[in-house]
Amino acid sequence: MGKSRKSFRNRKSKYAAHNQKSAYLFLLPSMLILSVFIFVPLAASLLISITDMNIFMKDVSFVGLKNFTRLFADRRVGNATFNSLYFTLLEVPLQIGLALLLTMCLAKNNRYCKLLRSVYYLPFVCSMTAIGIVWSMLLDPNMGLIAYWLKQAGFQTVSFLKNPDLAMPTVIAVTAWKGFGYTLTLLAAAVLNISQSLYEAAEMDGAGGLQKFVHITVPGIWPTISFCIVTTTIGAMQMFDQAYVMTQGGPLNRTETVVQYIYDRGFQTAPNDLGYASAISVYLFLIVAFLTFVLKRFILGRGEDTDE
Amino acid sequence: MSERKVNKTARQNTGENRTGNRRIRKIKFTGAAGFVFTFFVAVTVLVPILWLLVSSFKTDTGVIKFPPRFFPEEWTLHQYLYVGESIPIFQMTRNTVVFAGGVTVVSLLFDSMAGYAFARMRFRGSKLLFSIILLTMMVPFQIIMTPLYIEVYKLNLLDTYLGLILPRATSAFGIYMMSSFFEGLPKSLEESGRIDGMSEFRIYRSIMLPLCKPALVSLGIFHFMNNWNDLLYPLMLTSSQSRRTLSAGLAVLVGNKVIKYGPTLAATMISLTPLLVLYIFCQKYFVEGIAVSGMKE
Repeated sequence: MGKSRKSFRNRKSKYAAHNQKSAYLFLLPSMLILSVFIFVPLAASLLISITDMNIFMKDVSFVGLKNFTRLFADRRVGNATFNSLYFTLLEVPLQIGLALLLTMCLAKNNRYCKLLRSVYYLPFVCSMTAIGIVWSMLLDPNMGLIAYWLKQAGFQTVSFLKNPDLAMPTVIAVTAWKGFGYTLTLLAAAVLNISQSLYEAAEMDGAGGLQKFVHITVPGIWPTISFCIVTTTIGAMQMFDQAYVMTQGGPLNRTETVVQYIYDRGFQTAPNDLGYASAISVYLFLIVAFLTFVLKRFILGRGEDTDE
Repeated sequence: MSERKVNKTARQNTGENRTGNRRIRKIKFTGAAGFVFTFFVAVTVLVPILWLLVSSFKTDTGVIKFPPRFFPEEWTLHQYLYVGESIPIFQMTRNTVVFAGGVTVVSLLFDSMAGYAFARMRFRGSKLLFSIILLTMMVPFQIIMTPLYIEVYKLNLLDTYLGLILPRATSAFGIYMMSSFFEGLPKSLEESGRIDGMSEFRIYRSIMLPLCKPALVSLGIFHFMNNWNDLLYPLMLTSSQSRRTLSAGLAVLVGNKVIKYGPTLAATMISLTPLLVLYIFCQKYFVEGIAVSGMKE
């Protein structure tokens, strides 16, 4: 009896060891790729940011924190940071607010609501390049169809993307136009997940539409809303595609974002100052990490309150 | 409960109850406003996309005609027939298919293997490793951008398909999604395989993998769409015109303002068509992929 038990345990541990080995084999390709293309670059990024490396990668020397002191004196970094924050502060509420408003109208599973929800998702499937090209043409003051319609409706002819004051709001509007369908899909799924009996109970207690919305719907979908706020904010702080395609950072650098400036310094403009570009990306990472931390603290904290 | 129901139907039938009447009217009113609003938004979503579609059939003069018209006065295939002369559209499409398709296929394999290991196998350090992987989901691309470029350059892979595909061949999100799917499958499945003496890889390959087809399709679409549409990454890792993807190539060409509007419209339409067609036929999977990403928190 004891012997057989021992041999069983032996077999079991043998099997476990074998299992361990094959587990590592299953993980090997992914771990290799993640290490080489994420972990190493992450560490290297910090290292490169304290060197004066350029695209030729010769005679690299450490310069300490010089890139960072230089960064704070650089007007274009300040300008780009302002632009990124300006974009985020307006785009995120616009996209999520619009999605929330539409969710209230469309959180039913009839044919009309389903159809419209899938129509709203269409722009999200399209590349920002294509959308940027299409909207730039539609808003062109000389030949754009929508610019023409607006003029017919009595608005002044303006060049939306060339006017320094209008360029960023236009980019914001186009971004929200592309993204709200995605947010709506997430929110609608969350609303449809709320148990119908809660609403029935509230109705029995004589709650009106607004009361039901405030006391049942919003707390019910709060985790999803906060998820949307956090991820959309992180995405907005990393905005690049829109400005690259529609305005190239212009006019007068009024739409140049931090990522765009990193790309410009590191990969577009000679002498391709990779050390400096890395320093700016570390700086951006710290801003995004800070924003994420604050948002999570603030929004998720509130969510717990409403649960109680 | 049943009493309430009866009450309700009685109220609706007679329509005499005042409060009931008012309530119905109110619902109808907000319903009408909601209908107008949602319909208007749908029109603003559809107009630019439809405009692109019909305008790609306009003549050169039709595209720049003033005052502009929505529909072409004269429908022509000219832009599609000659788009290759001003934009290397075939090369760009091929590059995009190889890049997005390659990343999708390879990362589905690697993601599901790693996800399977985390969900179904016990090994030392699994919890630590998994949380490290989850953490990498929060690393923004910009911070690894410069070193990644240097690495790919040092590996002599700049401007090659391999250089585009390899860094994307697995993803933290994919591993996470696959492992949570595998976790939901019953344990008895692989045990029967083990009793039959199957190797761990065969259990994964012929028992587990066929069961997660829906998850694989959703994740595949997620990867395919993201890479097909990506701009900064392929822009950085390719330098020659012959390796540009549709999204990066078009952005550069249009940004330099070297091509006419007509071919641009046709090329843009070509770049959108595969994903739009895929979306129309596999809508469910597009939405499921993002629903999972919504549960990530």
